Amino acid sequence: MPITAENRDHLLQLTNRLGYGIRADEYSEIMGQGVGGWLDEQLKPPLGDDSNTAERLGKVSWHIKYDAVENKWPALDEMRPIALNKPIEEIWLAFDPQKPMSGAERAFPRSSVIAATMLRSVYSRYQLREVMAQFWHDHFHVNAFADDPIAASMANYDRDVIRKHCLGNFREMLEAVATSTAMLYYLSNRSSRAGAANENYARELFELHTLGRDAYLNDRYDRWREVPGAATGHPEGYIDQDVYEAARAFTGWTVEDGGSIDGGRKLPLTGHFTYVENWHDGYQKRVLATEFDPFDKPMADGRRVLDLLVEHPATSRHMAEKICRRLVGPSVPPVFVARIAEAWQKTIKAPDQIAQIVRMIAESPEFIQSRGSKVKRPIALMAQYVRAMGYEFTPTEGLFNQLANAGQKLFGAPTPVGLPDDNKVFLGSNAMRNRWQLLIGLTQNYWNTGIPEPTETLKAWNAKVGTGVEATAEFFRLFGVPANEGLVNQTSMAAGLVPFASPVGADGEKHLAVAAAVAAMSPEFQSC
Amino acid sequence: MPQMTRRQILKALAAAGVSTAALPMIRHMAFAAEASDKPILIVLHLRGGCDGLNFISPANDPDFIAARASDLRVLDDGKDAGYSLANGPAAHIDFRLHALAGGLSELYKQGNLAFIHACGLTDATRSHFIATDMIESGVGSDADLTRMESGWLARALMEHGSPAALQAIAVSGDIAGDLHGLNNVLAAPDVNNGLPFVGGANVSTALWSMYGNTPGPVGEAGKLALQLPTIIDQKVIRDAQGHTIPYQPDNGASYDKAGGLANTLKSVARLVKMDVGLQAITMDYGGWDTHEYQAGRFRNLVEPMSNGLAAFWNDLSAYHNRLVVVGITEFGRRLRGNKSGGTDHGRAGVSFVLGGRANGGKFYGQWPGLSSAQLDEGVDLAVTTDYRRILTEVLDHVNGQKNAAIFPNYHYTGGLGIF
Repeated sequence: MPITAENRDHLLQLTNRLGYGIRADEYSEIMGQGVGGWLDEQLKPPLGDDSNTAERLGKVSWHIKYDAVENKWPALDEMRPIALNKPIEEIWLAFDPQKPMSGAERAFPRSSVIAATMLRSVYSRYQLREVMAQFWHDHFHVNAFADDPIAASMANYDRDVIRKHCLGNFREMLEAVATSTAMLYYLSNRSSRAGAANENYARELFELHTLGRDAYLNDRYDRWREVPGAATGHPEGYIDQDVYEAARAFTGWTVEDGGSIDGGRKLPLTGHFTYVENWHDGYQKRVLATEFDPFDKPMADGRRVLDLLVEHPATSRHMAEKICRRLVGPSVPPVFVARIAEAWQKTIKAPDQIAQIVRMIAESPEFIQSRGSKVKRPIALMAQYVRAMGYEFTPTEGLFNQLANAGQKLFGAPTPVGLPDDNKVFLGSNAMRNRWQLLIGLTQNYWNTGIPEPTETLKAWNAKVGTGVEATAEFFRLFGVPANEGLVNQTSMAAGLVPFASPVGADGEKHLAVAAAVAAMSPEFQSC
Repeated sequence: MPQMTRRQILKALAAAGVSTAALPMIRHMAFAAEASDKPILIVLHLRGGCDGLNFISPANDPDFIAARASDLRVLDDGKDAGYSLANGPAAHIDFRLHALAGGLSELYKQGNLAFIHACGLTDATRSHFIATDMIESGVGSDADLTRMESGWLARALMEHGSPAALQAIAVSGDIAGDLHGLNNVLAAPDVNNGLPFVGGANVSTALWSMYGNTPGPVGEAGKLALQLPTIIDQKVIRDAQGHTIPYQPDNGASYDKAGGLANTLKSVARLVKMDVGLQAITMDYGGWDTHEYQAGRFRNLVEPMSNGLAAFWNDLSAYHNRLVVVGITEFGRRLRGNKSGGTDHGRAGVSFVLGGRANGGKFYGQWPGLSSAQLDEGVDLAVTTDYRRILTEVLDHVNGQKNAAIFPNYHYTGGLGIF
């Protein structure tokens, strides 16, 4: 079926916003799929990577280096293949805090996930999963740089929690997060005990993961009866007392870290989630105007809190608002958010709840009309540029650092909010400079992410085009940037091309590459 | 990488066919040194909710001793005893500064450092993010927060600041909420290596063409990113090969023991000495959200902060009368600890003001007490000083104007006497 101009625009918007653009070598296939075909495939990706990406992941190495410490470990400086599929018990056995081991060794799973995330953003066939995995990593953010155990559990968190559920059911995902090694460490529920529970997880569970800050009625502190709807068991929002009580509900949800339970018993050292009955505060509780009887079944208190939160309409509103802000943009109409919230609430039991919601958004006119309203996150800018240019790509630590300079330290946002979904964050002068630097650096191989020789793409370009200005004009077209003659001339000069010389010349590919980078620095290419 | 002078930029712009009239910013860009005697306000955000009671403890208060484990208190005897602070906020209570804050204790004794205990938001939020947003916006309620788009410091600079091409810098990856809404503000986490043009002068000419006439937030961001860093970059000293020369603090000051604050403070010190008309600088020092294992984490935060600020004050001796450093956190922490060896989100915390013209060596504000009836909701140190009272007094001193209106719906009853 031939694709219409309207469908083509929709498809481009889909691939730019719910993916990182179209590679030249997949253009005709995607145009053949059309909107429906593309969404069908992207919303139901198989578990695991496509064969091309899997093969490339198998070849990725990451630099690991540390100094010797006497009587503990020798110095090391090597490129080590990344490891994504180790079971957590194997990592934890090696992690044993009693064993002397450099922090860099313990943190290698974090490096592996960083490398895989960059590589998949460029190569994965399942682009929408990459975008959604990032969304959920931010929503259920753990700072992998905060503490070694979090870094050590990142591969498992990314694989078994985020990617596994990123298009599935929210309630299932929420419990997978609540019982994940990474989150139990990050929000310190691991050490929460009956008597004076640790409120860290419960607080952010309410505010960030489910109900949202708009539902926090802090002026009613402990006067739960004053919360509208409380009398009928449906309070409109939550108060501090709900947080305190929920924290009690999650006591005993912990990690098998080899520590002692009491004088006579020890937890095994596996890194797995476990529930320790005698750390749990079993007495009666009241959460969201709902009474919990004392001494319920193991884990029943915590699971009941998760149920109450997922069923609460404030969670649907909060999630709809958040997912619309990410996928549609900052100026999404409130009526549209309300429609998505309603759909969210109706699908809370559906195994493919999230996929259904994403489809509803992706097929809406609001989505199509939102073109250009989102400033690309630094990883999106990187991936779109590399994909558009058809460059060979290898993830490196240098590139990771540059993404951080541009405002996106992967898995390293300092607070549980994750990286804010706000254009402003990416538009400060510092962030802008580093976005430009990112494009120049990728082009000139500052961080060893590519092959320093001219690529086939650029050779083909050089063969195809007559003069420097013609080539530069092509690059602007490739990035969808309108450019007048003056700008094209300046850009080709900035790239060291002799504007009207024909052909571009023997060393021309290097200059062509710079011209492409400068074209990609344009304001238009910063947004999608 | 080549640096551009003002003339080169103008030439480049003309060559690019960009009219400088279309770019009002560039016409009054300050390229020459602007020696000044105007005050500079430096805001240090202690992010995560610093436990004021562990930073400065009412060490001999029986209510305090009864409620808290000893490793989360500053002790008044033994080898780990903290520094006793004269002129505390309550008679008969020995207020002790953390044992690893010797540098701050010296600044207090010298009369440059003032503490305000039991201060914070009058709104009872125990959320980091709402509390941070409120403080950075300069409001005291949820309702005002939804109406307020700009930061308190941005409004103060727009209303009462001196015109300058670059009024403020966030020494951070992005612009702190205090400065949201201000146009001539730059974020730079580290200026020690300069801020040269990306890709060189020719590339920036092309960038000017692309961004110079592009409306909207991306266009504006690009223009500022081309203009503002130059103001700083040209003041960074380079050798003949164009390499930046490492920063040399004055007075033999050393930032070596300032940990995670070292590069930040060096950048701030450098920016102060550049004399480019800066009126405000913000910086961040995070990690205070100590829900577990607080004792060790707190030590690791307090010691570098104390060392760093002491080094900074020594380094900038020549500027003391112009400098005001305000330390602020979103909230304090619960009086009673939890079983993770930490503390959960509470209410009142500690702020401090460091300034050559500040009446330091004293506490300001009322001490509410820690008995059950005196606590906020029976659990937290109560707020007796609205954070806006401190900031209003500081702003009045810094810009010489009346700043109460910077904080909407706030009734300012006059300063605490810090200045």
